[in-house]
Amino acid sequence: MDLVTVNGLSKRYGGIVALSEATFSARAGEVHALLGENGAGKSTFIQILSGAVQHDGGSILVDGQDYRPANPDAAQARGIAAVFQELSLIPDLSVEQNIWFRHEPRTWLGTVNRTEMRRKTLALLEKYNFPALRPDQELRRLTLAERQIVEIAKGLAKDPRILILDEATSALPAREAEWLLNLTRQLAAEGRLVIFISHRMAEVRAIADRLTIFRNGSTVAAHEADAVSDNEIVTQMIGRHLDRLYPERVSTATDRIALGVKGFSSGSRLSGVDFALREGEVLGVGGLQGHGQRELFQALFGATKASGSIELWGKPVSIGNPRQALTGKDGIALVPEDRRGQGLLLTKSVRENLTLSVIKRFTENGLLSRQKEAALVKEMVDFLRIKAGTSEQLAGTLSGGNQQKVIFGKMLLTQARVLLLYDPTRGVDVGTKGEIFQLMRDLAAKGYAILFHSSDMPELVHVADRVLVMRNGRIAATLEGDHISEEEILRAAMLETRAA
Amino acid sequence: MSAFLARNRLIVLAYAGMVVLLLVTALFSPGFLSVSNMRSTVVLAAFVGIVALGQTFVIIGGGIDLSVPWVLNSAAIIMALLCGGQDLPLVWVMPLLLAGGAFIGLINGIGVAQFGVPPIIMTLATNVILQGLILVLTGGSPTPSAPALIQFLSVGRLGGFPVIALIWLALTLVATLLLSKAAFGRHLYALGTSATVAEFSGVPTARTTILTYVISGLAAAFAGMLLTGYSGQAYLGMGDAYLFTSIAAVAIGGASILGGSGHYLGTVAGAMVLTILTGLLPALNLSSGALLIVYGAVILLTVSIGSETFAGLGGRLRRKEG
Amino acid sequence: MVMSVEQTVEMAQRPAETKPTKPAIDWRGRLLDRAPFLVACLMLALIIGIYGSLQSGVFSLDELNLDTAAAMTLMLAATGQTIVLLRGGIDLSIGGMISLGTVIAATRFTDDASTTALWALIILALGFLIGALNGLLISLLKLQPFLVTLATWSILNGVAMIILPTDGGSIPSWWVGFASAQPLGLTSPVWMLLVLLLFWWWFRATRVGIAIQATGSNEKSAFLSGVSIARVNLVTYGLSGLFAAGAALFLVTQTGAGSPTIGKDYILPSVAAAVIGGVSLFGGRGHLAGTLIGAFVLTLIGNLVFVLHVSSYWQPVASGVILLLSVLASSVAEKAARNRVQ
Repeated sequence: MDLVTVNGLSKRYGGIVALSEATFSARAGEVHALLGENGAGKSTFIQILSGAVQHDGGSILVDGQDYRPANPDAAQARGIAAVFQELSLIPDLSVEQNIWFRHEPRTWLGTVNRTEMRRKTLALLEKYNFPALRPDQELRRLTLAERQIVEIAKGLAKDPRILILDEATSALPAREAEWLLNLTRQLAAEGRLVIFISHRMAEVRAIADRLTIFRNGSTVAAHEADAVSDNEIVTQMIGRHLDRLYPERVSTATDRIALGVKGFSSGSRLSGVDFALREGEVLGVGGLQGHGQRELFQALFGATKASGSIELWGKPVSIGNPRQALTGKDGIALVPEDRRGQGLLLTKSVRENLTLSVIKRFTENGLLSRQKEAALVKEMVDFLRIKAGTSEQLAGTLSGGNQQKVIFGKMLLTQARVLLLYDPTRGVDVGTKGEIFQLMRDLAAKGYAILFHSSDMPELVHVADRVLVMRNGRIAATLEGDHISEEEILRAAMLETRAA
Repeated sequence: MSAFLARNRLIVLAYAGMVVLLLVTALFSPGFLSVSNMRSTVVLAAFVGIVALGQTFVIIGGGIDLSVPWVLNSAAIIMALLCGGQDLPLVWVMPLLLAGGAFIGLINGIGVAQFGVPPIIMTLATNVILQGLILVLTGGSPTPSAPALIQFLSVGRLGGFPVIALIWLALTLVATLLLSKAAFGRHLYALGTSATVAEFSGVPTARTTILTYVISGLAAAFAGMLLTGYSGQAYLGMGDAYLFTSIAAVAIGGASILGGSGHYLGTVAGAMVLTILTGLLPALNLSSGALLIVYGAVILLTVSIGSETFAGLGGRLRRKEG
Repeated sequence: MVMSVEQTVEMAQRPAETKPTKPAIDWRGRLLDRAPFLVACLMLALIIGIYGSLQSGVFSLDELNLDTAAAMTLMLAATGQTIVLLRGGIDLSIGGMISLGTVIAATRFTDDASTTALWALIILALGFLIGALNGLLISLLKLQPFLVTLATWSILNGVAMIILPTDGGSIPSWWVGFASAQPLGLTSPVWMLLVLLLFWWWFRATRVGIAIQATGSNEKSAFLSGVSIARVNLVTYGLSGLFAAGAALFLVTQTGAGSPTIGKDYILPSVAAAVIGGVSLFGGRGHLAGTLIGAFVLTLIGNLVFVLHVSSYWQPVASGVILLLSVLASSVAEKAARNRVQ
């Protein structure tokens, strides 16, 4: 008897179809994986299940009863809890306060019963063998991985019959990820249903009993995990042959060094890196998350303080803030990881966003020239094939892929020839991903120098000419040619250091 | 044309509201639309408009300036003291006090941009400190009357137009140029929308922030001197009313209090609306208390209208990330 | 050697298999967090110290009674403001509410205890309801607290002026006497102070109090966790209005009359008192004890200025400087704390 049955589920946001005719069924005691590209509809699906969002059409049955929660509270009342990637934790509260938030054990005065709360916290952490956590520690002091673990504890504290985990392992280091996978099996053994979203095939293989594949806003297939091969899964996820995603790799690197970095350190995460990025090269930066990649990119751009030396096109430079980085042809530009928080003004037009960094280029006698601005805008919109109704359309209404293109355009207009791209294809649809990879190769052929980080290892393997693997804030290995593979990257990221 | 109207709908609404208000007032008080009455309305609105000019820049940039009352008052009093009723000293006194206003703005700006002091606190502190210092300076005793030249600027006429209206017009042109046609304006709107994104885009955020407070200090100081000319005297507390009205004018003009949107042209309408409302008082036999209630209701009304538009938009933006 | 991904992951487990220990208590971090509050305590100690050295009888019960009475109106207003700041908002309308409260009291209080008690309750209820209305407008129309409370301040001010155009009215002497009553040797204001602290200690441990703090700390997370933001706003601003009304009721024991304009003198000082006491303007952090210390600091500056025989006009200057110092201190502490967080 199925615990959850979903039929014909749909959801639209204005003119955009997020989910259409999705079906799903799962039993108690099962671990059920959801697979699909970013934007395929998995997130919308679980948002509906967890009560965060209301569906437009279709039906959901839980235990045979109609299920249409008006909000997350109602969902919890039916025993459904979700652990989202977008953490729902409160920074100024402690770990245990977060875990029991809104469900705190109370005294007769209506106040929180601290002793009871502590007891329950310790019991919970003990029961599921949680990695070390201090219940009284303030949440803002925890790392991202630790916060993810608290988020998981928070989900479990509600004693759910159905637990939804949305890419819960993506923020976790190896040991904790392993713990989480074991946890899901323990929960399933307890008779719960665990719905599990992950991009890591190995994890899915390790724990899933069944899986459902999403593509383009709908469910395309559901399988017993041991009855389907990896290739079949990937094909159904992407809907086309994998290889066409990546452009042909032609070596366009020259001997000229565009960016030379020595002894570069920043904060506690970046402990001294040396490398050289050549003209015409696409240099990948990989390694496990949290080993200094973000700090490297932000510090090179001047967004955070750093020590050490940088040379751009042979000249030593000192970059104290992004303004000093974006100096024109000899400058260095960054397409940041946080599109909405660092890259785009969502309430401003495509035009205003594109030209924000290069106002000097269309200023005559101190006044802005609309024509010159329009020309620059047209140049980029055409070159990048940015799909927007008009250039006056607000950036916030564009799709993820087009938003990313606008940010690219903004940086390309600065004419900086050294580009830092931090996870440029995250949350971008497959079609635009391909365009972005092709763009990178085209720019490299024109003499640009690109430093490129991706959290998706296959991307690094297929797109980069060389790969720097970071570990503990340093470069653990430099991989070239045949040595560039997922296994080599992982090995360098986790094990002994190799000579570059 | 319709695109222009759509993009600037809040400003257009503000002017529409102003016209409606004018007509309503004229209904109750037929003499209201006379040339002489309109002239004095514009003159009164100019003072609000000048102070609100500075406030507009600060608010678009995401901040707020609570120090305008005592920057205004300080400039007024010090001008009266230094000139002693004579015209000649104005030659050096005026630039000096404008520089003084700019200096206070600089301090505000540095506190906010470099030290991360929240604008409310920083400008509140400077306001209160200035108040104390001026009180200590004057000991609470009255100051000499204003020089005749300043009086001319405030109440005199040039070719039939009040001088101050012409001054206001000129300042409006400058402000419009700065906001719409200069790099500074673009930087400011970006900064007010998202300081982080502005920073990552190479916008000189610290400099831009500081400039907004400097402009506000200049405007408040200038208004203070002109006001002294208008009333003939500088007195303690003359700046207090301008805090509320400058912020209200900006809000009614369609700017978001959070920053990133709005225009001085809207503030101009806002200043006019507030001043016309004040004129409504005697026309409707309303007490000053009723006026305050009307002010509050008008603010609520206008920001609700503006907010509905943004709320709808924001909702659409948020949901897109499903 | 070609390894599968699982094997590689497995290999990573083997080296360094030490038993994971609990992270140690971050004493320095905790100290830095409390820095603004500690600075406020220091400032208070300093002021009392200087004051005490120049004036006799400062460290006495009489002095405590007097000063608490002088500070109590601000303390009550600032308590409401603290709750609002914790929520991440601001309430400018308390100025109007305080004026309105004094004006209603001055025109409706009589020697008859039950009439007065009734009107006092009405004033308190009004405070809560109007405050709740603020909260409603903010949630429903999605308006910024600054502008909404600015507008309602103006409206309340206007109403107060209509009821009583100039300072006046009368307060029954027995009501005024409340402030100087001395149950058990301590005057009512001192008892009120204790009650305020007790209230806070209780309030912060209730689910509502935690929800308010959480919403101020991160509204999005609170929403995702199922908090009703609308209800939080209702309670937050309702309580602020309630405390403003309470402040008015106490204020009339000090002034003996009603005033349609007196309220505005308490708006910004209520924010200043909280900020001096370490309450964050961004929401989510702060304790009433800090606010009350801040209120004491602001009130005692007046006394200090007096005994130093300088013009009383130096008081606002000192207040402003102290406010700035306090904010700079917390800003520095904040930066230091941030540098230590991974």
